[in-house]
Amino acid sequence: MWRIRLFDSLVQAATWVAGGLLLLTIVAVFYYLFAESQYAFQRKFPFGFRIALQPPDSEYRNEVSMDPTASLLATHREGTDALDDAEDATRLPSHEELSQMQALVTATAQTDDPRQLRPDALFRDCMRAPKRAEQGERFLLLAFALPHYTGNRMVLAWEPDVSFDPAYCPYELRLRLVRAPEGVQVKPLEIDLRRQPKGSLELPVWKARTQEEWLQGYLFELEARPTTTTTLATIQQFLMPDWAPTILYARFGMLPLLLATLLITLLAIGLAMPLGIAAAVYLSEQASPRIREWFKPILEILASIPTVVLGYFGVMLIAPALQQMFGEALQLSSGRGLLATALMMAVFILPTVISLSEDALRAVPNSLREGAEALGLTLAERVRLVLLPTAKSGLIAAGLLAIARVMGETMIVWILSDGTPTMPDFSSPAAALGTLVKPTRGIPDTIAIEMGNVEFESPHYGHLFLLGLTLFVLTLGINLLGFAYRKRAQVVL
Amino acid sequence: MMNAVQSGSVRTGEWESLAARQDARRARKNALLTSAFGAVGLATVLLVLGLVAAIAYHGAPTLSWEFLTQPPREGMSAGGVGPMILGSILLMVGAFLMATPLGVFGGVCLAEYGERSRLMRLMHASVAALAGTPPIVYGLFGLAIFVLKFKLGVSLLAGWLTLTLFCVPSIVLTTEAALKTVPAALIDGGLALGLSRWQTLWRIALPYALPGILTGIILSLGRAVGEATPVLFTASIYYTTAETTLGWETLRQPVANLPYYLAEGYRQPGVVPERLIWGACLTLILLTLLLNAGAILIRSRTRRRYLW
Repeated sequence: MWRIRLFDSLVQAATWVAGGLLLLTIVAVFYYLFAESQYAFQRKFPFGFRIALQPPDSEYRNEVSMDPTASLLATHREGTDALDDAEDATRLPSHEELSQMQALVTATAQTDDPRQLRPDALFRDCMRAPKRAEQGERFLLLAFALPHYTGNRMVLAWEPDVSFDPAYCPYELRLRLVRAPEGVQVKPLEIDLRRQPKGSLELPVWKARTQEEWLQGYLFELEARPTTTTTLATIQQFLMPDWAPTILYARFGMLPLLLATLLITLLAIGLAMPLGIAAAVYLSEQASPRIREWFKPILEILASIPTVVLGYFGVMLIAPALQQMFGEALQLSSGRGLLATALMMAVFILPTVISLSEDALRAVPNSLREGAEALGLTLAERVRLVLLPTAKSGLIAAGLLAIARVMGETMIVWILSDGTPTMPDFSSPAAALGTLVKPTRGIPDTIAIEMGNVEFESPHYGHLFLLGLTLFVLTLGINLLGFAYRKRAQVVL
Repeated sequence: MMNAVQSGSVRTGEWESLAARQDARRARKNALLTSAFGAVGLATVLLVLGLVAAIAYHGAPTLSWEFLTQPPREGMSAGGVGPMILGSILLMVGAFLMATPLGVFGGVCLAEYGERSRLMRLMHASVAALAGTPPIVYGLFGLAIFVLKFKLGVSLLAGWLTLTLFCVPSIVLTTEAALKTVPAALIDGGLALGLSRWQTLWRIALPYALPGILTGIILSLGRAVGEATPVLFTASIYYTTAETTLGWETLRQPVANLPYYLAEGYRQPGVVPERLIWGACLTLILLTLLLNAGAILIRSRTRRRYLW
């Protein structure tokens, strides 16, 4: 008797332990996705502008970044707080040397206090470490002409540094005239660099005769004023339309990835769902038991083909076909892209859709079938009027499950999408067609591709977890909805 | 109705001819639709056969005993995929050993207490949601917790744990579904004979549900063995030219495996020749097919046991 009781309690204990571990897993998955996403919120926000003082006829007027005399005022992502600023700044030559080379000069210093400016500690560029969104930044910029300058006008031109987009910067960026040289009448100047990232303005000429007089030239400041918190800024940037995490001024806008994933899902499900239901109807209503017995294992084979292999199959068969169709018209380098991905996704999800739909259809009681047949309805009418409405909940559950599977499928997108984040564009039919066949990139493959060469616990790492969390929350919602529909299907029937 | 109209013995009034026309249209529509359903079914079969045939066509010339057993040579550009196959099998066996008890007892837990409390209902829903959670999310989770927090590193052990997590929810669900198919008469019979509740479960319900449970386990393992993403950051290594030696230290080392070999082989084009890629594709498919064949065999073997 005690043996039976011991055995009982062992089985019961094992059951409870397994149940407890399952619950723990569920909580842990949630917790760790959230916990690792915190690194995204430790990001810093770089910005950079090139500013040059030019003669009015300068050839670099519209390309300030090409101007060899331009100053770069930047906070790069590479810098750290401990970095010695002097190492990243280019010292300005002396008055004599400069007079030989050029007549107009912009200079900057590492300080942001005008009283601490010293003529022997001026630099061409100033690069500092980026800061968090709560902290501001201030650069000082001196602008003056040298005695050799013959023109009577000079122009201050500015432009964002290459690859910097002021929209991806949470600061209020202003270029402001702090002080005009003595004896020069200028109206107060303040330029909103976010609204006018590129521009120029004319200034009366003022010449510095000695190196000491440099400091009396035009004094500008580039001020980055905090407008929001890092958390809000990170979230806001996460919803922007550009994903470029490895450039100097990193952009973490996941919108193109999300839209690509949704678009691929929409196309794949739109294709697989009708086909899958049709095949399921055939299986559950028309096929003889013998055929069905053959069909099921074949479906299972398709379901078991690893997605990597499906991806290769797509590269071999679908991509070249698409390339032949659209390659010349749209200048594609290969047929890989959104459409190829969606087609292969449809193949990937088809067996799941068929077997779940068939389950849903087979759950419809035979009495309903017989009743409909007794009314003289043809098979097509029985399907439309009786079977599909009755099995609706189950079919919806099947569709939702399929959607979640397609959204999270990684390898097919990785291999077939060609990996360029592209914002979908449906403004014209041609643009829409281009969006469909051009390379793209979704959320799961971005995680898979970039996690391989990311520095652990860096903001980029955090953003990949944020992407994972986005995907998890999306699929979780869809799965729970599917679960609810499945339950309802069981209740209805 | 058709006969009456066609025989001509009844004067065909307007109503009858309308009905006849409509009947003909309905029949045509029915024929069209039903053949369409059948055509889609046929197309699916052709698709599967075509897929498998194409990969077999490309991969078969590469397949040889050397290819299956030798490690890659000459900077991955020649030799075989022996370590990758071994790694895939290692990953699968470990996941099988860990996921089976957890999944089966979890399924028992759900089947026994499923609708009893709010907690269990919540658990049921969460397991269902976890079963549909993308594998890449498991990969991320495995990286965060096993590789970094538990400091296991990118290793076979971390891969096992991640794959276990990936397999468990679907095993739980199939176990629960299989247990629900056990006829109440069998359970009642057991209880009537004086067996305790857990003895009934262990001796009667589980054996009855075993084929379903086994099928579920095998299918989920088949999915796990072909899935690159859970082991992408947790257990995988691409470049191997050495044979894998088995020992305790293997647990702490990353392992090569077929899906990752294929994924990286795509990402770094030109390293692994296409010939080897197709060979590896075919090998991977054969591996999953083998598992599937096992599942089908189990099902057909045990189907007739309880017919009475």
